[in-house]
Amino acid sequence: METSLFDAAAQGLLNLIQLKVWFALLAGVAIGTFTAVAPQGIGTPLVYAIALPVVIRWEPLTGIALLIGASSVSAICAAYLPVLFGIPGGGGSQATVLDGYPMGKRGEARRALGASFMAGGMGCLIGTLTLVIAVPAAKPLIYLMGSPELFVVMLWGLSMVAVLAGRRPIKGLIAAAFGLLIAMIGQQAQSGVMRFVFDQPYLLDGISISIIALAMFGIPSALDLALTKLGVEQQAVPLKGSLFDGIRDTLREWWLVVRCSFVGVWVGIVPGLGSQVVDWLAYGHAAQSCKGARESFGRGDVRGVIAPESANDAKDGGDLITTLLLGFPQGVATALFIVALLAWGFLPGPEMVKKNPELIYSIIWIQGIAGIIGTLVGFVLSGQLAKLAELRYTFMVSILFIFILMGAFSVHRDPLDLVAVVGFGILGYFMRRYAYPRPAMILGLVLGDLMEKYLYRSMMAYGFSWLARPAVIVLLILAAVSFVFTLRGRLKSKSESPASLGGAMGRAEDES
Amino acid sequence: MRRLTDGLFKASFFLGALSTFLFPNQVFSQAPFYQGKTITIIHGRDPGGTGDLRVRALIPLLQKYILGNPTIVNEYMPGGGSRKAANHIFRSARSDGLTIGNLSAGMVSLAVLGESGVLYDLEKFSFLGSPYSSYHSVFVTRKQAGFSGVEKLRAASGIRIGAQSVGFSTYNEARLFAFILGLKEPKFIAAYAGAEIDPALMRGEVDGRATGADTITKRNREWLEKGLVDFHAIVETPKGDKHPRFGHLPELESFAQSDRERKLIGLQRAFRVTGAPFILPPGVPKERVEILQDAFRKTYRDPAFHAEYKKLTGDDASPLLPEAHEKAIREIPRDPEVIELFKKLVGADPLPPR
Repeated sequence: METSLFDAAAQGLLNLIQLKVWFALLAGVAIGTFTAVAPQGIGTPLVYAIALPVVIRWEPLTGIALLIGASSVSAICAAYLPVLFGIPGGGGSQATVLDGYPMGKRGEARRALGASFMAGGMGCLIGTLTLVIAVPAAKPLIYLMGSPELFVVMLWGLSMVAVLAGRRPIKGLIAAAFGLLIAMIGQQAQSGVMRFVFDQPYLLDGISISIIALAMFGIPSALDLALTKLGVEQQAVPLKGSLFDGIRDTLREWWLVVRCSFVGVWVGIVPGLGSQVVDWLAYGHAAQSCKGARESFGRGDVRGVIAPESANDAKDGGDLITTLLLGFPQGVATALFIVALLAWGFLPGPEMVKKNPELIYSIIWIQGIAGIIGTLVGFVLSGQLAKLAELRYTFMVSILFIFILMGAFSVHRDPLDLVAVVGFGILGYFMRRYAYPRPAMILGLVLGDLMEKYLYRSMMAYGFSWLARPAVIVLLILAAVSFVFTLRGRLKSKSESPASLGGAMGRAEDES
Repeated sequence: MRRLTDGLFKASFFLGALSTFLFPNQVFSQAPFYQGKTITIIHGRDPGGTGDLRVRALIPLLQKYILGNPTIVNEYMPGGGSRKAANHIFRSARSDGLTIGNLSAGMVSLAVLGESGVLYDLEKFSFLGSPYSSYHSVFVTRKQAGFSGVEKLRAASGIRIGAQSVGFSTYNEARLFAFILGLKEPKFIAAYAGAEIDPALMRGEVDGRATGADTITKRNREWLEKGLVDFHAIVETPKGDKHPRFGHLPELESFAQSDRERKLIGLQRAFRVTGAPFILPPGVPKERVEILQDAFRKTYRDPAFHAEYKKLTGDDASPLLPEAHEKAIREIPRDPEVIELFKKLVGADPLPPR
């Protein structure tokens, strides 16, 4: 018998009353804060890639608490680099630099950070509340989804490649196709045929996605750090001003926070938009709609900090709507989150809504709680975190290598996993160097197996008649419209100035 | 002279005391081998599933019953339907009695059927039994498909049967049901995760499936309460072991038309009865094998194990004792003609002619 959503929400909260879940959440918050503030380019995807081999051996809720805790707070604390150093933060906090840094130089760094934390916290809560509402709203639709509909949804998800490929669509397609090819290694479920196994027992089940993700994101980052000795060379602006001024600013601009949060949720939900544009869309909206923005934006207007930060944090709620309710990822971090859920035996999407609604609500609760903790951490430890931003690259390189190798070995305690992680790591380094987008490859890898499965089931159960199912037609139209709009948006953005969407996305691609 | 004997006495006392510290096992030869040692159980699966829980139910008692009360730790080596772990235990694990494997029944069937990637010789392992050996596979179709009896099933063509991947026990059983019941050109859709098949059955994406009788009574009670499915036949493992809820269903063997078909069912039953085998690598000294077999025997018979097993897995334990386990492995039919037919039966191609 299925539980009501209210019961599921209550049970989801009750399930969190375990010390280990809270420890994991706090550990996730600590990791997320560190990686958001540390200047050497550790983003959420790399955190997930490093944590994945470890957490999939834990109980699901404990692992989920760590992952969500890390990603949630990472978005909230992402304003340090833009405000203190004038360096665009990770994906989603790049626009903050335009007004955050001038504020810092003007002696209002604390005010900018206060506004960023408050807007981020409010955005996170709005995103989470939208997710809460989305579960019952989506439930009737989800019951209509069989294998044909799920195949189209996956196809829709694959249109993300258009975004992840950035300005290099051919390279993006090659990377995604390579991901699909890697997904084929091992015994094919439907026929029992061994594909690309070469009589090696190690390859019977394919190569673990967590090993590949760890290698593709971890090794290139560590190698880059070691080879380029990248670090923060600029001097940080002094941490002056008052955090409370920023809080007051944000509360005064609550309507801007709400609007931009919904921009964030929308970017999270719609496949193909990609997280790299969220801050720029919100910034653009604020620049168009706020009074006097034409004169003040770009010169240290606090609204130019509030808008991107609220959207960036609300986006996580939107991301989780597609990840949990439809079962396809919106980027690398959510792709790896899906890998973790699959490893724990949960199938994100309609099945999970039906069978594990309490787990979905636990995730929502964790997301909300992590947002609150992240905001508090930002306020209480702002001074200490600013010092963290000056960490040297040597420390980061050694830490990264230790975690990558330990993480890889911990998956199956198989020495061949170490060979695989080094091999894929070198491949990842060259992909990064020659601008083949690794996120597109990971997307192909994660979606490849699912797409093959759903297409096979659809063909076997319905022949070609599945293409005439009403829900399939509606979803195909939505996917096509979304793809065309994304492509059009991208083509348009190329012709705009570097500071616009196109420039921002270009930078985001390089960063990925 | 007296000084010399005194010296010798002191020297021998000193050497004796020293050897007590350096070689305690040799000095106290009656000390059990496993005292102070650590046994590693290598699982051929990921942690956290039912298979893992079955082992965890047994560990505290096993620790109690192994002479010397060793520490027992778990390691997980999933891959290839337990092939990877079995290969490792056969080829790389030390034969000192400190490594035990707990694998899926697949390690037995893969070896008997001579599948690729098998680098072990089944006969050379020592067997320590299994926490369960009883299983009842039931063939069901959804009510709306309208197959209320076996005759209607036989009359229909192209029935869509959902299953997990090729090679999974439920897939093999679905194929066996279809073959022995004489279904016409059934379509096997073997691309579902375990929990996905039932919803697919209910929304009409597939018409039927083979599933466990206990799974139905625990996970699909509404099938029984609302009459959502038709039940057609059952395979009882061990043979003649009636299920309390589905004992009335006809045994699949009653539909067999030849001795060869009965042997096919017997082979599937033989694979199922081995449960989740505990094994030792080849070459473990006989006395250590006996210590472990004795400890497993006592554990399987202990009511506390049955209570813990029920608590953790929700199922009743149906242990297979070490001697019965060895016998079951020995008695698996090895008739090449039957094995060849069974391989065709559980492959991905259309069913062979009867």
